[in-house]
Amino acid sequence: MAKKMTLISAEELQNAYVDYVLTHGTKPKSVYVFAKANNLTEEEFYNYFASFEGIEQSIWTDLCQKALTGVESQEVWSQYSSREKALAFFYAFIELLKSKRSFVLYSLKHSGMMIGTPSAITGVKNIVEAFAAGIINQGIESGELANRRFFTSKYKDALWIQFGFILNFWAKDNSVGFDKTDEAIERGINVTFDLFEKSALDSLFDYGKFMMNNGGMKQNMKF
Amino acid sequence: MPKSMKEQDSIPTSKTQRSAKFVKTGFKVGGNYIKHYSKKLFNPALNKDELNLDNATDIYNSLSELKGSALKVAQMLSMDKNILPKAYVDQFSMSLYNAPPLSGPLIVKTFTRYFGKTPFQIFDEFNIRSTNAASIGQVHQASLEGKKLAIKIQYPGVGDSISSDLKMVKPFAFRLLGMSQKELEVYMSEVEERLLEETDYDLEIKRSIEFSEACKNIPNLIFPTYFPDLSSKRIITMGWLDGLHMKEFMKTNPSQAICNQVGQVLWDFYNFQQHELRAVHADPHPGNFLITQDGKLGVIDFGCIKEMPADFYEPFFSMTSTNILQDKTKTIKTFRQLEMIRKDDTPAQVEFFYQVYKEMIELFAQPYMSQTFDFSKKGYFDNLYNYGERIARMPEFKQARGVKHFIYVNRTNFGLYNMLHDLGAIVRTDTWKPHIHTPQ
Repeated sequence: MAKKMTLISAEELQNAYVDYVLTHGTKPKSVYVFAKANNLTEEEFYNYFASFEGIEQSIWTDLCQKALTGVESQEVWSQYSSREKALAFFYAFIELLKSKRSFVLYSLKHSGMMIGTPSAITGVKNIVEAFAAGIINQGIESGELANRRFFTSKYKDALWIQFGFILNFWAKDNSVGFDKTDEAIERGINVTFDLFEKSALDSLFDYGKFMMNNGGMKQNMKF
Repeated sequence: MPKSMKEQDSIPTSKTQRSAKFVKTGFKVGGNYIKHYSKKLFNPALNKDELNLDNATDIYNSLSELKGSALKVAQMLSMDKNILPKAYVDQFSMSLYNAPPLSGPLIVKTFTRYFGKTPFQIFDEFNIRSTNAASIGQVHQASLEGKKLAIKIQYPGVGDSISSDLKMVKPFAFRLLGMSQKELEVYMSEVEERLLEETDYDLEIKRSIEFSEACKNIPNLIFPTYFPDLSSKRIITMGWLDGLHMKEFMKTNPSQAICNQVGQVLWDFYNFQQHELRAVHADPHPGNFLITQDGKLGVIDFGCIKEMPADFYEPFFSMTSTNILQDKTKTIKTFRQLEMIRKDDTPAQVEFFYQVYKEMIELFAQPYMSQTFDFSKKGYFDNLYNYGERIARMPEFKQARGVKHFIYVNRTNFGLYNMLHDLGAIVRTDTWKPHIHTPQ
């Protein structure tokens, strides 16, 4: 077969890679093998990606970026609270994942679910954390979320943990149309944001501080 | 949770109050889960038995609280132990009122899933904040081509949680009450069936259209227009009805004439369905109705329909509209048909249940006995309550009795009587009479 005249795009490379791993159940032995199977030169591969890890990561980050662009372009986006923005992102992301479910399952399985982050989604982590930091700041400015010393900087980590949890949940979800994952998102994100919001605990803490500082008064009380 | 609090504000007071006692149970059950999982952290081998038992105990406690108040009337025909299924009905339909509102993004997602478009693309206007809670969902306002619409959206996973909750609690509740599961299985499955039907919006819209068509000639009764094209498994689109729920309506001090008019519509609506359609809107609680300023009654929820088979309808209503009760042999025969008296009852038991049930049917049938009936009379309802109380204390009623159809038929008729009582209405009770083809 004659070598393709048109230059291959990054997306075509990604698709070819997905097709390869899903057909063979394993990643190609080398870039050479992969390039040959697709009538490419190694150079064409390296123009876009440094390694197979790199191409897998890029598939993930592209999905994630696409989900973000999708929700941000919705008319209603500007009316959403931080909580709703987080929800909208998760719904959109999971919806997009459906189109690549086999690859996602393959990728999660083969990058090893160790403690920490599977290598394939390290790029996604950066995007999600940047997004989370953005909506959290916005929420703190608008008063929707509580600004707590020491903890505020950890909010985005909590959202990343939710991300991992939801992804895992979806990977194992057998319900029709992944309904259960919708519930997991709705509940999980709501609980997380409930914790971010000003709550009775903040008041209690504040009250405790007040009593500590003014504890001397206790001795003057007769009861 | 300031946001959800805000959204919860829009739920009518009556519903908030009614669900208040379930909030407590909800907290307890939630606490049980926390307890379970924190124990499990240290002991991964722990199974769920203890958790289930904790839950069942707390749910049962809230059921017994109910027994004292809301269920008094239903106790009558439901014969004490049948209360349990009835309590399940209320427990599960009402505890769902506490479900947090669906988030905006989930609403958008639900629409996209069923219609491929966001609600903003479908309607000219769509209010993403819900205006009311429905029994297993929430209601949003929208408009399309100048028409004001009500969009009902179901909470996700409701059907699943009904089945799993019932399954989880059943064996433990039976154990706690000390009765056999086999005996109550038939009632439980009846309840589960109705509850699951309620979660099927495709079925609900089909029935809504059928029933509003069948009942359209009843004076002063109105129905919203339904839009099947804009409805799906989880979404129902209907025209918006302006009106007040009964509680708010009564606060406007309506005249006796208007109350009578509304009461008459209620009576006609229910008796037309029972006797002409033999299938009835079996959820007569005030949240399902709206009353307009000029005393018209709007029906807004057809989630729960009970069909009455002839082998129940004929014997049951033959007791209210023929003179069977004068004839002891025929009465006992009818009681046997309805399994209120059982094959293996001793002659003494037959005599006992004959007396008790005869009294009950006579009470129940009183409104049917005259041309008009004054439901504002406190005496009649006191008699009902007293009878219920007495029954509840009788050891003879430890077993469940009566065919399964009683659960929803009782709920319907006593719910109706109660609403008429709240309205203080005097109604003509001879408008739609039972048809008994084979008087015995």
